[in-house]
Amino acid sequence: MSRLDWFVLCGALLFVVLWGLYKGRGAQTGDSYIGGGRDHRWWLIGLSIMATQASAITFLSTPGLAYVDGMRFVQFYFGMPLAAVVLSVTIIPLYHRLKVSTAYEILEARFDLKTRLLAAILFLFQRGLAVGLTIFAPALVLSVLLGWSLHANILLVGTLVMVYTVTGGTKAVAWAHTSQMVIIACGMLLAGFMTAHRLPAHVTFGDALHVAGGLGRLNVIDTHFDPNNRYNLWSGLIGGFFLMLSYFGTDQSQVQRYLAGSSVTQSRLGLLLNSMIKVPMQFLILLLGALVFVFYQFHTPPLFFNPGPVKQVMAGPDAAAYRALEADFAKARADQSLKAEAYVQARHGGDAALTAATKLQLQQAQADSETVRRKGVALIEKANPGTNPSDTNYIFLAYVLSSLPVGLVGLVIAAVFSGSMSSMSGEISALGATTVVDLWRRLIGGSQGQREVWVGRIATFAWGCFAMAFAEYAARLGSLIEAVNILGSLFYGTILGIFITAFYVKRVQGGAAFWAAIVAEAGVLACFKFTSISFLWYNLIGCVAVVALAWIFSLTQPASATLAPTES
Amino acid sequence: MTDEKEGIPPMLGSWKKLYALVLGELLLCILLFKAFSWAFS
Repeated sequence: MSRLDWFVLCGALLFVVLWGLYKGRGAQTGDSYIGGGRDHRWWLIGLSIMATQASAITFLSTPGLAYVDGMRFVQFYFGMPLAAVVLSVTIIPLYHRLKVSTAYEILEARFDLKTRLLAAILFLFQRGLAVGLTIFAPALVLSVLLGWSLHANILLVGTLVMVYTVTGGTKAVAWAHTSQMVIIACGMLLAGFMTAHRLPAHVTFGDALHVAGGLGRLNVIDTHFDPNNRYNLWSGLIGGFFLMLSYFGTDQSQVQRYLAGSSVTQSRLGLLLNSMIKVPMQFLILLLGALVFVFYQFHTPPLFFNPGPVKQVMAGPDAAAYRALEADFAKARADQSLKAEAYVQARHGGDAALTAATKLQLQQAQADSETVRRKGVALIEKANPGTNPSDTNYIFLAYVLSSLPVGLVGLVIAAVFSGSMSSMSGEISALGATTVVDLWRRLIGGSQGQREVWVGRIATFAWGCFAMAFAEYAARLGSLIEAVNILGSLFYGTILGIFITAFYVKRVQGGAAFWAAIVAEAGVLACFKFTSISFLWYNLIGCVAVVALAWIFSLTQPASATLAPTES
Repeated sequence: MTDEKEGIPPMLGSWKKLYALVLGELLLCILLFKAFSWAFS
């Protein structure tokens, strides 16, 4: 990185921390520290929700997904607007009416203490582990591509986040999110603009889209129903709906963002704003990945974008074979570049038959180079047994480092850091809040004054340290990382089922809900272990199982009251 | 919470219309994405 890149990176990170510290000052009570003063406007809530959800790996991995697999990942987010509307109608007015600080408080009012604690502990468990990966995954990519120390990277991100999150609580987190979203938006938009600009002069934006589409990278919508297919219209609308319903309705890291709203109206508008921006935003990030794919039609990419496993091959007995494959790949890609040029020229000439013929030749050339790449990946797998041979997370940053101008490299890396910091801060703030409100305040008790602010700071600091420690340990997890990545879907369905039972199944009491949740969670874990069902469906399975089992168990008990949400 | 007092959203006049806008945008996105896939495939 150049001096200008370092200047941009350090300046952006320093600004985020100082802005968070400045805006987050003055928390006098536990409620203001955890609730952010409950005076946030809709745009602040919307940006904060977006920043909490968008981790660094979102910005590293999403363009890589489009490069490798096309743009169908955007369907994952189709359930979000549906969920935002349902939550705006139902749960947001209820949370405000009951003046809760965490999502799990209302479960005690409806059921009992043990059901509240079960939901809170499920959240602490899955989010506590996930936050470690939130900082580990991008730190790994940066350390491999830039040669930075993984440990220093994790320590830097964790320390910067804790400075303003521990000090200022929810308000500091929300305001820091605004600066982080500005950095992320500027970095990604400029990267997209420069990628389109750096295509060969005669290749128009329309040509680029036709090249990407002809090679299967613009396949946004897949209407074929297949429960084993992770991303299609139906898994996005149905599975994604339940995932988003649970994530935005019952995950404290998101609930805390809109509970800081000054009114039901502000909370609703913030959530709806996020849901309206998210789908187009993900589309644009994926389109950036498709443009990077087109860029590499005219420039030769490396055989494998992650240099770490390649070093392992080069140090082993297959080094010569891998070098030969690299030469074959360079030759195949040079041929592919010629085919891409021919296709673009044919399009400009307006000859439909020639255009179709050159497109077929380009597709064949792509298939040929993919064959060579697969052989290279097989050698990498052989030299790195038990590791994931995917280089998806490395593609975008490798492209940025090799092809974008000085200054913009620093800005994109600042955007990656901002993504890492924004999700970590929202998550450890929520973990601290749940620890204070659902465990410390409920089980130990005490005043909600300055003392609780300090308890909140200690809890947030402890979760931040846990996240960093888990991130350090994550490197040793190997293939278990994938399991931790889908941890949310293993628990969200059960948590959502508890809440839906609380609101809509009148006759169910605490004991039935508690045991239904335990049995349903065991069922979801069994699905994960013994079936190939795509993880998005776990949200639906867990939710339906809790509601159904709670109703069945309740048949042996007298009916109880309900916490019906109020329509407004 | 004085939601009734502030029950009207700052645009479109009612929450139902705002929700329809959110869902309409999703439908429009899906249709445009489908058309986008078809146009460049």
